Amino acid sequence: MKERSIIPYLFLAPFMLAFFLFFVAPVLYSVYLSFLIKKRTGTFGVATDVFGGFSNYIRAFNDSDFLASFGHIVVFGIIQIPIMLALAAIIALILDQVTGPLGRFFRSAIYIPYTIPSVIAGLLWGFLYSRNLSPVNYALTALGQEPFNFLSPLPVLLFSIGNIVTWTWTGYNAITLYANLQTISRELYEAAKVDGATGWHVIRYIKLPLMRPALLLTFIFSIIGTMQIFSEPFVLRGIGFIPINITPNTYLYQIAAQDANYSYAAALAIIVAVVTFAFSGFFLRMVNRSNV
Amino acid sequence: MKRFLIAGMALTTLASVAVAQSFREPTFPATLNNGQPIELTYWSWVPNMDKQAALFTQKYPNVKIKVENLGGGQSGTYPKLQTAIKAGSGGPDVAQVEFGYIPFFASTGGLVDIGKLLPANARSFFPAWTWAQVSPDGKSVFGVPQDTGPFAMIYRKDIFDKYGVKVPTTWDEYAAAGKALYDKSGGKVKIGNFFSTFAPWFTALVWAGGGQMWSVEGDGYKQTLNNAVSKQVANYWGDLIKKGYVSTLPAFSADFWNAVSAGQVATSMEAAWGTGSFAGSLAKNPGEGALYRVAPLPQWKKGQRLTTGNWGGSTAVVTKQAKNPQVAATFALWLMTSKTSLVAGWNGAGLFPAATSGLGLPELAEPSRDPAKFFGGQNVAAIYGQASKSVNTNFAWSPWAPTVDASFQKQMDRAVKGEITFEAAIDAWQEETVAKAKADGYNVK
Repeated sequence: MKERSIIPYLFLAPFMLAFFLFFVAPVLYSVYLSFLIKKRTGTFGVATDVFGGFSNYIRAFNDSDFLASFGHIVVFGIIQIPIMLALAAIIALILDQVTGPLGRFFRSAIYIPYTIPSVIAGLLWGFLYSRNLSPVNYALTALGQEPFNFLSPLPVLLFSIGNIVTWTWTGYNAITLYANLQTISRELYEAAKVDGATGWHVIRYIKLPLMRPALLLTFIFSIIGTMQIFSEPFVLRGIGFIPINITPNTYLYQIAAQDANYSYAAALAIIVAVVTFAFSGFFLRMVNRSNV
Repeated sequence: MKRFLIAGMALTTLASVAVAQSFREPTFPATLNNGQPIELTYWSWVPNMDKQAALFTQKYPNVKIKVENLGGGQSGTYPKLQTAIKAGSGGPDVAQVEFGYIPFFASTGGLVDIGKLLPANARSFFPAWTWAQVSPDGKSVFGVPQDTGPFAMIYRKDIFDKYGVKVPTTWDEYAAAGKALYDKSGGKVKIGNFFSTFAPWFTALVWAGGGQMWSVEGDGYKQTLNNAVSKQVANYWGDLIKKGYVSTLPAFSADFWNAVSAGQVATSMEAAWGTGSFAGSLAKNPGEGALYRVAPLPQWKKGQRLTTGNWGGSTAVVTKQAKNPQVAATFALWLMTSKTSLVAGWNGAGLFPAATSGLGLPELAEPSRDPAKFFGGQNVAAIYGQASKSVNTNFAWSPWAPTVDASFQKQMDRAVKGEITFEAAIDAWQEETVAKAKADGYNVK
């Protein structure tokens, strides 16, 4: 009897162990780090970490570079996420209609960008965006125009990054939505047809409402993904100046990996996580409420 | 077989005796690590460093060196190095660190004070100013100087010839030449490029003009990024950029090399190791090297005694994660002072030796080997040697170098776009950096 009650926990143990080691422990360590500040003695002394209370958090809320990074990412998300999801939904609806080898081909083709590592993708796009070597600018100069600067001003830069993100993730989201569409019983369509529904009616009154859970899922994932954008702007630095606070994560990188201020970076990371959590929770709630 | 080996060893000894007469190098131990096999990891972004380091294994067959190139300084090796230091594992035994970053890494506590591991006379093999840079407090020694980056001007001889413009020797002449090239080429040829994403490049120009950016005052620092020379340099280049005479392509980018290669950039202010970068990046185009030459850095006053600055220049530091700090320190010293190694470093990467004896090596002038070969056989080492002797030797650094670099890029970007003047950008650079350094716990004014 006793043995039996232990067994489930034994099965769970490997997961719990890994979960604790790789998820819970680092989070706890970050929380601990975030309360430390650097104490320096003399001019060339080694800095020591001492308890600093909430001073890292206070600093964060007064750090205009950090706060601005949220502004960038919110503007980015408001424009990029709807465009990407609308595209993904359209592609999913089309894929759902197309059968045969052509359908299979496009299903794979649309997914390919997602399988390319984002650093490689960033390098490829970086080539398209570079001042002299970009084919776009090559054409412009040949036509006697000034080369276009893809990295500046800020809205253009956000657009350029958005391009890369959309290119990478539209296929992934489309496949998720497509899988959802495939689960809809075909009998529903037949019944609709018998009732005289047109193709548009089927999409508007059957497919879209039934896609809702999947759309919501991709939407939440997109919000989280947007908050974590890092490698695209980071790789683009090779071709020109990218503000270090273009996203919260690039700014975090500067603080941790360049300035070596790990405790301040930990505080920033926790703030980013809380904001992400709040954003996703807020939208989830809003959508659920309108559902009722 | 054995006899051959003995004969070989005898020859090597003879050869080193012959060399010792003209070239002074430290006495190295006969064996290391008691002859037991050991492998050192060395992080360095110097081109061909693997070949140079392998020469150490020829001398000490039981010591293997694994060279890992993690990319240039701040955009490659440093983030990884300090993460490894923080983590307490995963770091190398020996690592390349630029002079300007020695105070920063010393403050992380991850470097070994190698003063006692090196021979007592180690400092006597280096110019005093380079030793002062690896030993900023005058007590601890955090690295062995590798190379210096005295500043000079690389230029396209063919472009100046084609448009009949004289190669400038002063900044006034440089501006005039910029206008001439711009007018005669219809705006196609820029005289130079402003590296707005590289603070150390700008710093070298200020350094050359005698500006001082950091100094120690009591137990704190004083930072003067916005000193008079700094503003003069910024205004000068800002004016040329505004007029369209100077481009602002990011340093070391494909765009930059492409423009240089296409003859759109007539000069570039480069450190000695820049000759290696030019040879390495452009040698693919046959015959192109013959177009390039090196001239002394333009001066502010005509006929003044040459003064110049320093961009980069590196050291080898030993980390606290070194398996055997003694072996690591000996490797670092050998790599930076032995003749074999210094010649390989010059030919492989244009490393201009920090070691005093290295400057006089006849091999540096050898026209049939790179980088001299790339520059049409010109004795570029002579120009950089002269520059090296003209470097203001009192220059000191701060431990918040990464902050200085990041802020420079941000403010210069605003200036290049015309949002603020270059002078205002320099003031903003000073202000922002002091505020950040203070927030990070530094005592700075």
